[in-house]
Amino acid sequence: MKKTAAELREGEKGIIEKIDFNNPCSKRIVEFGFTPGKEIEMVNESVFRDPVTFSIRGTLIAIRKNEAKSIILS
Amino acid sequence: MNNSSTGSLPFIILIGAPNSGKTTLFNSLSGKNFKTVNYPGSTVEYHTAEISEKYNCKALILDSPGIISLAPNSPDEKVAVDSLYNHPKYGRPDLIILTVDASQISRHLLLAKELLDAGFRIVIALTMNDILQKKNLRIDIEKLSGLLGVKVVPVNGQTGEGLVSLISTIKQELRRAGDKNYAPTAKLDRTNYNNYLLETYKEIEKIKEEVVIPLTDKSKIEKANAYLNVINPVPENTLEKPDNLTLKIDRILLHKVWGLVIFFLIMGITFTSIFYVALPVMDLVNDFFSFLSSSALTYLGNTWYGNLVANGIIAGTGAVIVFVPQIFILFFILGFLEDTGYLARGAMLIDKPLSKLGLNGRSFVPMLSGFACAIPAIMAARTIRSRKERLLTIFIIPLMSCSARLPVYTLIIAYLTPKDKLWMGGIALGGIYLFSVISAVVIAGIVNKFSKTLIREESHSSFMLELPTYRKPKMKVILNNAYINSKMYLIKAGTVILILSIFLWFITFFPDSNPKINTSGLSESEIEVLVNSERLENSYAAKLGHLIQPMMTPIGMDWRVGVSLISAFAAREVFVSSLALIFKVTNTNSSLQNSLLTAMRNAKLPNGERLFTVATSIGIIIFFVFALQCISTLAISRQETGSWRIPMLQLFIYTSIAYILTFITVNGLRAFGIN
Repeated sequence: MKKTAAELREGEKGIIEKIDFNNPCSKRIVEFGFTPGKEIEMVNESVFRDPVTFSIRGTLIAIRKNEAKSIILS
Repeated sequence: MNNSSTGSLPFIILIGAPNSGKTTLFNSLSGKNFKTVNYPGSTVEYHTAEISEKYNCKALILDSPGIISLAPNSPDEKVAVDSLYNHPKYGRPDLIILTVDASQISRHLLLAKELLDAGFRIVIALTMNDILQKKNLRIDIEKLSGLLGVKVVPVNGQTGEGLVSLISTIKQELRRAGDKNYAPTAKLDRTNYNNYLLETYKEIEKIKEEVVIPLTDKSKIEKANAYLNVINPVPENTLEKPDNLTLKIDRILLHKVWGLVIFFLIMGITFTSIFYVALPVMDLVNDFFSFLSSSALTYLGNTWYGNLVANGIIAGTGAVIVFVPQIFILFFILGFLEDTGYLARGAMLIDKPLSKLGLNGRSFVPMLSGFACAIPAIMAARTIRSRKERLLTIFIIPLMSCSARLPVYTLIIAYLTPKDKLWMGGIALGGIYLFSVISAVVIAGIVNKFSKTLIREESHSSFMLELPTYRKPKMKVILNNAYINSKMYLIKAGTVILILSIFLWFITFFPDSNPKINTSGLSESEIEVLVNSERLENSYAAKLGHLIQPMMTPIGMDWRVGVSLISAFAAREVFVSSLALIFKVTNTNSSLQNSLLTAMRNAKLPNGERLFTVATSIGIIIFFVFALQCISTLAISRQETGSWRIPMLQLFIYTSIAYILTFITVNGLRAFGIN
């Protein structure tokens, strides 16, 4: 199993390899700018460890870990 | 040009991603005839206005809800997207103005590409150029315009920079629209949409690399660098990094400990404001309307029409207007938090526990507000973008222990606590609040399980949110938003509340509108109280109370409590004054509450037993925790959900739960010998 964005720790970076389109939220995730080849950084984790914030394309996007699982890193 | 339903005006739609400066642009363009309307057959709202006269460009402009793509993710977004193709009221747009955040160009161009691929005629208003400048970058406007094949105009909605140029572009495009047959028909191909998205992003990436260039005032350095054969710094890195200050602030505001402390502090201030800051204004409204009411009664006399005007129409209007301070303050704070960028972060902090109930981080503020009053709270649920989560939040808000329940709880607690152990009252009140929170959580979980049948929405819960760059809030926009929401409440829910209030007045006033009583030896104020209580005792409401007596007996109460419960539909606190009337509390020597407590102690059931025992008193509290007895809540729930279905379900379900649990409590306590 490849690493997904849900497994990144605070401050850890990763490059997106592909998006798992089986996840019902995947379309939205791509629309928000999570596309293959992009570097993301997990910048913040909520107090309850979920959702998590990623820095991508010059902005911050908060998504739930369930949704972050569809972002597969290389 | 499609001018059939906008009169002679061309029709322009303004669209853009959330946080792209769309609303600011709308506010600076809009002039007269500002309207807030629903998309026909839905609860999605939009604003329309004519372009301000000072720009000398006659057109109707529509501000649509923020979207990030043409592929809708919710029923609400579908309505917004569909109306781009053919608006149910205004037909096809003659032109679309798309706001694109220059600092977010690689994300916001997605919508531009989709619109162009679908054949729309668009003009791009490029916003937030100042943020890009801070990163020493700018957009090559001509190049971007050339690559996309559309006009691009840099604007600053706050300073008004670029607006004149935007207007002249709009005029040009509208003239062009007149002589060309324009029909966007190519709906997005949903079957291959995932690939389309990835391909489009690749194209956007190329465009971005060409159009984002260093600021011109750096050109000297560049030339020098070129001369020295040094490669210019790649702009990519700075563009791809979020705003530095925002990251720093987030380190505190989203901190594991401090983040939560600050969150509860901010929520505490929000709650205190709608609870205590609004209070003096609400008192003022109440005083003003009781003054109007008593003046009307003096002027028209104590006749049925005098009472209709004074206690029906004027008091009903007062009952509507009294909520405005809370609504205005809550929407002002919400707008402030949203505009600075904090609201999204607060929602993120608290999302996890709420997601367990099928709710969303954005449900927190509305639910908290519910402890002050359900009316502004249900309206605040507008900030929840997903329809399912919004409806679910609205559904459970009436369970939050609103301030109108407090007088009832206080009365019953005062009745139950021994004089020498007043501290027990405080504990009891805390216990009631805790109990109502736990009950709300349990019921929210159950409602979520049955969401398909109850709220007819089943979309799976998700939380995807951009945490916007922290910004100085735009007071004018925030105040305007609070004003619009207050006005909408007055027009829509206000009328329903007024009609229901007059109806309640009617059934508590008639048919015995002028009762005969023995007035010998009584003071004027005593006569007034007696007339009022006699009238209530013979009213339709009392008849209804007698009618439901068979339902009151099993819970240890009688028709008198029934009448008070019916009257409490006007507002829960009316229960207390209504009880005072029905027990003919005329003693003006000591306080109303003390006389009422004495009357309650002496009240007997037909079989000679005491009416207000420990068991029945606790029963009343249980009833008030659950029952939805508030016409204003029903009216606002109808306004916000778009039909009577959900408010009627709420009324039926919550009142049934209240009745059943009261029955269990009263009879359970009796079984244990507590009476």
